[in-house]
Amino acid sequence: MTSASLDLILASTLISQGAEAKVYKAKLSSDPSDSEILLKHRFRKGYRHPTLDGSLTRARVAGEARALLKCLRAGVNVPGVRMVDAAEGVLGIEWIHGQSVRKLLPGGAGEDEDASGDSEPEAADALREYDIPVDALMQLIGQEIAKMHLADVIHGDLTTSNMMLRHPSSFKSRHPTLSTELVLIDFGLSFHSSLVEDKAVDLYVLERAFSSTHPDSEPLFASVLRAYEQRMGKDWAAIGRRLEDVRMRGRKRSMVG
Amino acid sequence: MPFPNRASSSLNSIIHPTDLPAPMPGRLRQTPLKNPDRPYLAIGLEGSANKFGAGVIKHLEDGSTSVLSNVRHTYITPPGEGFQPRDTALHHREWALKVINECLDKANVSMHDVDCICFTKGPGMGAPLQSVALIARTLSLLFNKPLIGVNHCVGHIEMGRDVTGAQNPVVLYVSGGNTQVIAYSRQCYRIFGETLDIAVGNCLDRFARVIDLSNDPAPGYNIEQEAKKGKRLLPLPYATKGMDVSFSGILTAVEAYTFDKRFRKDGQPKDANDQDIITPADLCFSLQETIYAMLVEITERAMAHIGSKEILIVGGVGCNERLQEMMRIMAEEREGKVFAMDERFCIDNGIMIAQAGLLSFRMGFETPLAKSTTTQRFRTDEVHVSWRA
Repeated sequence: MTSASLDLILASTLISQGAEAKVYKAKLSSDPSDSEILLKHRFRKGYRHPTLDGSLTRARVAGEARALLKCLRAGVNVPGVRMVDAAEGVLGIEWIHGQSVRKLLPGGAGEDEDASGDSEPEAADALREYDIPVDALMQLIGQEIAKMHLADVIHGDLTTSNMMLRHPSSFKSRHPTLSTELVLIDFGLSFHSSLVEDKAVDLYVLERAFSSTHPDSEPLFASVLRAYEQRMGKDWAAIGRRLEDVRMRGRKRSMVG
Repeated sequence: MPFPNRASSSLNSIIHPTDLPAPMPGRLRQTPLKNPDRPYLAIGLEGSANKFGAGVIKHLEDGSTSVLSNVRHTYITPPGEGFQPRDTALHHREWALKVINECLDKANVSMHDVDCICFTKGPGMGAPLQSVALIARTLSLLFNKPLIGVNHCVGHIEMGRDVTGAQNPVVLYVSGGNTQVIAYSRQCYRIFGETLDIAVGNCLDRFARVIDLSNDPAPGYNIEQEAKKGKRLLPLPYATKGMDVSFSGILTAVEAYTFDKRFRKDGQPKDANDQDIITPADLCFSLQETIYAMLVEITERAMAHIGSKEILIVGGVGCNERLQEMMRIMAEEREGKVFAMDERFCIDNGIMIAQAGLLSFRMGFETPLAKSTTTQRFRTDEVHVSWRA
């Protein structure tokens, strides 16, 4: 038995494989003017009991689509949803033309083992292509996360790899001065919560991601937080206090026994 | 220094900086551990939970190791009961000398021959840890041998690496007290994911108590046998959070099924019409399938994250054949390899403490008497792994 979703996957190109899913670049129709989409296929896990695997996959695909829709409705920049096949574990979303923020900041380009040491000038060059100063980029990050948290969506895996800048040539910016746009991607670990704790941990995860991938990035993250604070308004006080607590204890508990 | 350390002069020459090659660029770094100039012997004493173990290990000049003896005695409580710290400590005190003597006899060495005495510093239950540390201290003073305090988890990892020959694996450490996914990076065993509440073995042990399974040889073993008879997969919470897992809610949920009106404690239908039933075997089966799937999932995430192809399973729950099988299927899908061990090395033992202790002793580490305390909280990532590149 084949399904329409699986046929679509067969006709598309594999981009990468993570632990959870395979990612493909596909087209919904053969019309050349039709734009490409990204397919995320949560393939079957042989080690899991089929019943358990089926219900997990359905719940996760539906959950990710739901989080994206919630963000879209709240005006957060995320990829648009193009198709959902929860039973087969396939989620089709808008293809974003652009570059991950990780590659655009110093230190992040050295992701591949064989990358040479001169990544920093490359990163600066790349950023120029998007015509955005670093500080403005940090502000965009802070604003997008704040918008998402105001909609009570917790990303669960905020890193600079999970943010992209749209290439200026790929769309028409509505912003008066910026020709690019920041998009949050990969909502595979996201969930719905209005708790201060969850939002603080979300920020803490990003802070750790900044310091481990981008050396000397403290001022960068500080400016992310400033923009976040501004956008959150009165909600910031409680989250800021909790963030201090989370920093003190870490995300992990102390180990017993 | 409380000990005239007769090994120190030779050790210094082993790790003298001028002997070391120039640091190599990239990831190919030389191991800082040099082959010993003579055979080294270490005795390890372990008693962080309900097992008291002693073992003698030998490191040879060619860099190989050989296990001379590995003796263990387990404190087994009646069905429905766990082990209390006080009684467990008593058990260790009662059995220590018998086990240590048997271990020396089997190895055919005397206490005078060993180079160092290794003991578990933590983590574990306070009272049992203390009684074993006391025995180690006494032996150290009697025979004038240096003491090495060892992190229990690092002991498991080092023994696993030695027995299986895994080079740089992602380590899944699953036992009654710990659940962690670990990977080595820059002289530290970094914890990628772990349990947010109770350990996986604790969850199994406590469920075995609920359905009155025997604690002999181990509650987890009896759950595994029972699960083979189970047919029905009941829905349980599936609690992975990123790279972390949580088991306490699952334990509550599986316990709740024993109050369900379909539950039959003896596993038998009441009559021919009694078809829709839940048996203890079904619960064991559902529990195993769910929690092991969670463990395999977070291990796979860690593998994808660091790009490793090897998995090493250590700790008492690591003997479980269903967990090993699931891990093997996952590894095959990723073209990786699983390294697992049997109960001799998976379950807490003295030899792993000797192995990790001797490695750090050869790097010049020792624990002075005044610092030979124990601690219930001792994270795996607090240890400086000086013997690896």
